[in-house]
Order: sequence, then C-alpha cells, then structure tokens
Amino acid sequence: MTDTLTVRQGGFATVQDLGRRGRSRFGLPVNGAADQYSAAVANVLVGSRPGAPLIEITLLDFAVTASRDTIIAVTGAPAEVTLNDQAMPQWQPLLVRAGQTIAVRGIRTGLRVYLAIQGELRVPVLAGSVAPDSVLGFGGPLAAGDTLTLDGPGPAPVRGYRFGPFVPAEYLRVPVPLSSATVAVGVTDGPDAGEFADPWPLLTGQEYTVTPRSNHVGLRLAGATPDRTESGEVLSRGVPVGAVEVPAPGELLVLHRGRGVTAGYPVLAVVTTIGLNALGQARPGHRIRFRRQTLAQAVATQRAQAATLADLARRTGHLFPQASPSSALRRGA
Amino acid sequence: MTAPTLQVADCGDAAIRVTARGGDVERRWRAVHHLADVLTTTGITGVYGVVPTYESVLVEFDAVATDHAAVTQVVARVAQDLRHADPAPAAARTFRVPVVYGGSFGPDLDFVAEHLELAAAAVIDRHTAGPLRIRCLGAPAGSPMMDGPAFGRPVPRLRTPRSKAPAGAVSVAGTQAVIAPAASPGGWQIIGRTPLNLLDLDRDPFVSYRPGDAIRFFAIPESRWAEFAGRPLEPDHD
Repeated sequence: MTDTLTVRQGGFATVQDLGRRGRSRFGLPVNGAADQYSAAVANVLVGSRPGAPLIEITLLDFAVTASRDTIIAVTGAPAEVTLNDQAMPQWQPLLVRAGQTIAVRGIRTGLRVYLAIQGELRVPVLAGSVAPDSVLGFGGPLAAGDTLTLDGPGPAPVRGYRFGPFVPAEYLRVPVPLSSATVAVGVTDGPDAGEFADPWPLLTGQEYTVTPRSNHVGLRLAGATPDRTESGEVLSRGVPVGAVEVPAPGELLVLHRGRGVTAGYPVLAVVTTIGLNALGQARPGHRIRFRRQTLAQAVATQRAQAATLADLARRTGHLFPQASPSSALRRGA
Repeated sequence: MTAPTLQVADCGDAAIRVTARGGDVERRWRAVHHLADVLTTTGITGVYGVVPTYESVLVEFDAVATDHAAVTQVVARVAQDLRHADPAPAAARTFRVPVVYGGSFGPDLDFVAEHLELAAAAVIDRHTAGPLRIRCLGAPAGSPMMDGPAFGRPVPRLRTPRSKAPAGAVSVAGTQAVIAPAASPGGWQIIGRTPLNLLDLDRDPFVSYRPGDAIRFFAIPESRWAEFAGRPLEPDHD
C-alpha cells in the first residue's frame, strides 16, 4: 500500500525545495523556499537532504495527516504546532504516529513555516525542481483533500516515546533565527550604486516598511529613496536575487527568488544570501533596517551558516543512519 | 576591429556582473555569450547560473563552494582568449510570427506612434520590415529579447508597469523588442499580440529559439487569430 500525506486544511501551503538552479540562462527564476535556512534545517532535522521537497506554509493555518508513522520537523516563523491538539516544539524532530493530525496555526510574527516529513514527497518535477513557478503556471497551493505520496522507508522504531520530541534540544543545538517585526537585513554595494547620489546614509539610516504589494517575486518597501543622478535607457541585463532597485521615488524593490532574470533598472545594492532568508519572513507592515556589509563579511556569515548546517547534519546523521544528509551536504545538496 | 574588454563588478555575495566594453555591438554580444558558454560547458565549481544578455553576463555562484576571486580569474582567462579569437556565432534560424497590432491587442501602439511622430501603420511597417535578432532569453519565461526595430529613437517604458501583460504580448522598450511567452507584470509598451504559443513545458528547453536566431513579424487581421491560435512557434524551413 502506498503511504500518503492527506491535507486536512489547505491554508496557503506549497511543496517547495531549494529551487530550480541553472535555468536562469533560459529565463527561469530560481524560486524555491523563501527562507532557505529554515527549509534546509527542517529537512536535516528529519534526516533528509537539505534540498528535499517539503511543505512551505504561508501565514494561514494548515493541517495534514500521514498514513504511517513518521518523523517531522517544523521550522521558520514561530507558530502553534500541534499533534492531535497537543502543543509541540519547533526546530526539533518529532515522532508522529499514523493518522495523527499535524497542525500549524497562528503564524503571527514572520510569514513562512516549513514542515519537513521523513521520506520522499512525490510531486511533479520540472527541470529538476518541485518549486512552483507562478509565471509558468507550474505547481501551486495545496487544497484540503489533496493526497501526496510519501516514498522511502518509515522511521526506525523509536523506543520509549509515544509521539512528539524524542531528541534533547541540547543535543541538536540548532541556531534559531530571531523573529521580529523589525528585520535587520545585510546588503552589499550594488554594481550601479555609483549612479545614485550618496545613497548609504539614506538606505541604512531609516526603517523601510514592507508594503502589501510584496511576494516571492519581490518585496516593495516604502521609505525615502536616493535620487538617481544618471538617466537614460539601460539595455536589459541579468539581475541577481536580492537586487535592490528604485523603480519610483518613495519605493524600493528588492528582488526575491521568483524574480525575472533580466531587468533594465540600475542595481543600487544587493541583499546578502543570509538577508534574503530574513526577507522571506517579512510580511506587510514589518519594518526593514538595512545593514551595509563588505563582501567578505557577507561571505563569511554565509559560510558560517553553511558550517552550522553541515555540523547539524552530522549529528542528525547519527540519529537517522538510514539517510545520509551529511554526504548530501558535501555534494551541495 | 578591436576586441571588447571584459569588466567585472561584484553583484552581491553570490554573483558578479561581467560587462563587455569597446568593440562593436556584435562583438560585445558575442563576447558575453562566449563567456557564458565557457562557464557552462567547463562546469566551474560552485557556478550554477549564467544570464548573458546584450553586452553583459550575470554569473551566479555559491560563495560557500567558490568565491568572487576564483570566478573572476576564469573570466580573465576568457578575456585573454578573446584577444586571439572572435568566437563564431551559431547558425541562425528565422521564425515568422503573426501579430494582430493595435486595439485591445496592442493597447500602447498609439502612444508609441505618437512618441515616434509616426502613423500607427508606419510603426507596424518598421516592426515588420526585417528580421529582428534574438540577443538573449530573458524574463518572463525565456522571452526572446531582440534588437528593436529601426524606430530612430528609444521608446520609454510605461510610467506604471502593468500588473499583467498577456501571453503573446508583442512589446517594445528602449531599443529592444520582445514577445512574452507567459502572462506576467511588465513595463514595456505592448503594440500587438501573437496567437502563437511560445512555451512548451514538455520540451527542454521550454522555448524553440536560441540567442542568434531572428524573428520576422507579419501583421494579420483579428479575423485570422483563430487560424494561428495555440500553434507552436517553429523555425522556417529553408
């Protein structure tokens, strides 16, 4: 018999992975989990590779049941996580019994929660990734009643626990990102910063407000914007995820993972890889404070986080020897 | 003719932008696409994406696996090679694309005509006058981004971008021209719409054209829309 996950409450949840890399030359954005750190940690906590398919729950309440015993982990924004109405912690593996209802409710700070399930979620793959692409019309939100096939062996028997946490949090030592309505975001100088008049005092000296016209393609932030000193038409060119542009006075556009790969606006600054995860948790009304960093600082922070993840994978590898996340990490997921 | 030089600018902690300077338009374009080919075919550790366009290429990489200096070094080596050889472009094909111009199909045709101080019919004449070279695949969904028609002056973008331009929208902006394979927001001036289907998710890549190919537009009346509707875009047979 096939094992399945059945969605009980849809909310706004999608199956994601870390994105569709290597397709930007063909005009396709990378997409994938908006908060890559939380997604990778959730997978590693259940013994999966960091880039395995998992569920991204945005804002609205979500519930699901599994047809077999399994192990899950819930990361990302703080939320009320329950197994059959009993409160459960986030950021650690949880033993779940067949038929139990896993619910994620009350996302109040932050925006996105990640739910990883041990085993392999079988969903359609496009160009090597399950990540939805809203422009191509690929993938989309789960609805109540949907069933997803769950492949792979079930968990090894966990003795002495009925369900819930079974690993001391002290053993895992997962660094949990701060969740707040004011979000600090690292940026480095963009290649076209010179086209703006003294942009840094303005960019780092105020808080920008996330507007409702923000999504996985880009966040639009309200606040004072630096003036562009050059004008003229720019030929379309590739723009990175994280590019900070000034499409109109009083509004910054920060491109996120669903961004169109080409654009004609000058790139004032670029949000760091780590900062993009924080932006993936920013909702309308949240305030953004930019911190200017050197490339060396940004890269060092990114590497430190990668090392933390690799270390976590080594330790969960001892818990779930049948999976091998640490070797997957070395392969770059 | 002088070979273009390649200039590197950091573009955040996971990308660099390489811009070709000097030489003519054609050689700058060839240089950045050649660089993109080299980076793709040699599989540089950590490099996972390239976006070559008209005269620049964005190189995306994982800064945990490599770093800016290592990627820049590869670029320098390619730049050195460019002095000796001018890479030949791949054989170009031509795609013929029917377009219903103006009206609800091309809501910005009149604005473009006014801006260019031309009659709408003259804008259509110039847009259909000759093949337009595809320079790169861009947003959204692998749009064929072309050299614009001989309008004589650049066309400004919309002041406020549309929240949704339909699939098949045929647009111009700056000195560029494009067709949208999929619906998406956009700030370009839509002068017409093609009934052809550019996108096929069952093939790889999803679009049939490549940089270097050319598109030749021809005007059709609205009454012929159904005749072409949903047909795939295929190259001409010589």
